[in-house]
Amino acid sequence: MFLNKNSCLYSRLRNLFPCWFLGFAFLSGCAPQDITFRANELHAASLSQDSAEHPISESAQSAQELVIELFGTPDSPKWPEGIAVAVDMEKVGRAAGPVGRNVSKIERGLYRKHCVQCHGTSGDGMGPASALLAPYPRDFRRGSFKFKSTPIGKKPTHSDLVRTLEKGLPGTSMPAFGTLNRSKEFAGDLDALAHYVRFLAIRGEVERRLILAIVNGEDTNSLPLQLASKVADSWTLADSHSVSAPTLVATKTLEDRLASMESGKTVFLSELTACSKCHGKAGDGQGTSQDFDDWTKDWTIRAGIDPTKKVEWKTMKKYGALKPVIDSSRNLTLGAFKGGATREDIYLRIVLGIEGSPMPAIARKENDNPGITEDGIRDLVEYVYSLSSVKPDVLSDAKGVGAN
Amino acid sequence: MWEVTDVSSPWVHRWAMMVTLLTFPLIWLGGLVTTHDAGMAVPDWPGTFGYNLFLYPMSAWIYGPFDLFVEHGHRLLASVVGLFAIGLCVVAYRTERRRWLVGTCFLFLASIIAQGVLGGVRVLFDARTLAMIHGCSGPLVFALGGFIAMATSKRWHLGFCKAGVKGLGRLAVLLLLLSVSQLFVGAHLRHSLPTWLPSFFMSLVHTHLLLAAIILFVVLGVTILVRLPSNREFREFRSPSNALLAIASVQILLGFATWIANYATPWVELTPWLARYTVQGKGFWESMIVTGHQATGSLMIVCSLWLVCRAYRQSSIAEPRKQTTIESKNSVPKDYQAEAVNIGVE
Repeated sequence: MFLNKNSCLYSRLRNLFPCWFLGFAFLSGCAPQDITFRANELHAASLSQDSAEHPISESAQSAQELVIELFGTPDSPKWPEGIAVAVDMEKVGRAAGPVGRNVSKIERGLYRKHCVQCHGTSGDGMGPASALLAPYPRDFRRGSFKFKSTPIGKKPTHSDLVRTLEKGLPGTSMPAFGTLNRSKEFAGDLDALAHYVRFLAIRGEVERRLILAIVNGEDTNSLPLQLASKVADSWTLADSHSVSAPTLVATKTLEDRLASMESGKTVFLSELTACSKCHGKAGDGQGTSQDFDDWTKDWTIRAGIDPTKKVEWKTMKKYGALKPVIDSSRNLTLGAFKGGATREDIYLRIVLGIEGSPMPAIARKENDNPGITEDGIRDLVEYVYSLSSVKPDVLSDAKGVGAN
Repeated sequence: MWEVTDVSSPWVHRWAMMVTLLTFPLIWLGGLVTTHDAGMAVPDWPGTFGYNLFLYPMSAWIYGPFDLFVEHGHRLLASVVGLFAIGLCVVAYRTERRRWLVGTCFLFLASIIAQGVLGGVRVLFDARTLAMIHGCSGPLVFALGGFIAMATSKRWHLGFCKAGVKGLGRLAVLLLLLSVSQLFVGAHLRHSLPTWLPSFFMSLVHTHLLLAAIILFVVLGVTILVRLPSNREFREFRSPSNALLAIASVQILLGFATWIANYATPWVELTPWLARYTVQGKGFWESMIVTGHQATGSLMIVCSLWLVCRAYRQSSIAEPRKQTTIESKNSVPKDYQAEAVNIGVE
């Protein structure tokens, strides 16, 4: 045949093989790459200056190696031996690895299927699509999460994470995966994903602390396990810090609620709460005080870099930094509440604050300390709820009382 | 009068149309496989969970997980398309007089087989990069089927006038090249790898947007060109031009919708509705929009090719308009003769 091994055409095709391969590689953007966790160079760069003696990449890489020893790789995650288990590793195993089903039809790779595009393999919030999103996807490695039922400084509960996965965050790129729960086949997916997010957060926080130790020249022999244990414990204790909102069902009369809203408006505009400084007097998010979130401050202000000056923050781009963006105050009149739009959700946001963002927890009146009473908080919730352009119940009859 | 250049059995055209029309839903299903990341829902190939592809229990397929349903369905439909392509080759071999067209039919069959093998290798090696190439070449195979359907149509046999719209051919080729490039960039975005840097993905998105703007511009150029008063007599370009304008418009809308379905709108505070909009992960309509955007892209390629064929087919006819006569009437089926005369009278 014309394609026998001695033919001219055969030899030409054979010689062209490298060109074919390169052509395909060009068409596909790049050759196949191993999926690995990315070292946290940005954190290392925010803690120390790059120098020939102590290159940033080296300290980040050293910490990365220690963490891989403890927690494994993206395809084969493991839990450090000798410390209390803070996640369900069977579920972590199902969420990790490449997407697909095994011969028993059990699905795995849930994280790469649903999350990696934005949150990245390491949970660093630097997935391929991240730079185009506003706000940027969450970096799990600080162990900080915004919408939860625990106070600032405490880890979110497992149900908090599942809730965010299920309901999504309105007005952001975070999808609601509640549809998965409707199918029997995918019903356990969100639970598995929440465990994997916990796993990545614990892993990432241990890595950050190890980088700090390495930069400070501490002995890292037994440190990784100690740090892992400490971080894992903080996650295990999350449930004990959980706060639940009182039931705020609208049982009052319309007159009572109008009075409550008026009272809430006073609280909103007061110096004590200073809500209007960020959210604006009309609650439209046009306040004078606007700030960056903690994820940005981490590598800018805390590292002596002005996030408003491009010349300064641009030096961190090579370590994976994305352009600093102001964490704008919510326009309360739009009715878009990321953490949930019920009165109970708003109550929790006011009482607990939003971790990592400029939104603080409200100062409660305790003993002789100045602050807002429980009734005042409820009035404030009623007022914020009334500001929304969407008034699902009787409040729609009371328009005009809200923002103005 | 219009020239009748060559005539073959209408059955080749019928088979070609059938295979091409079957290839489009195949592209849809392939798109759904990508949207639902279902490429590895069946971990073996060419079988399905150890069964022969055609013997996999129907109930396990229909009532199984959605990703398995989509992936196995994609394989089954691909096999059906392959079988019909074999039929096309047989019919073309027996009835078609143009040997180059018979060769093209066999090339079409070979490309379908190669596409199937590529999809299989993607599964065996679990290689997302191969999935990307599979996604790029699928619409090209579809376009090849479309080309065979065009080359066997009555219109092709009748030929076209010689003096055509000046510059349209080059514009059509440019549009075809742009559409194929856009397909490649789109396939990259759809199959992005977790290892990619955000800056790379961002540059791909910007390239995709830029190409979309250029394509729209070229499509508008084509539309204006074929509607110029001086080109009024060349009605044969109206249909591809109209189709391109319609598809490009739909495609732009689907592009915006795809972004919103995947990542929400960038202008969340524009209206309360946008601010409250929550992206639905793997929602039905979201999947349809995203997949529809990809499938419409392949239609864009076929329509560009349609315009290219009409533009260059016309200039390949030797005789000038209104001076040609129907030759070899005995070899022309009656229906072709009638249509040729009717068009000539116009």
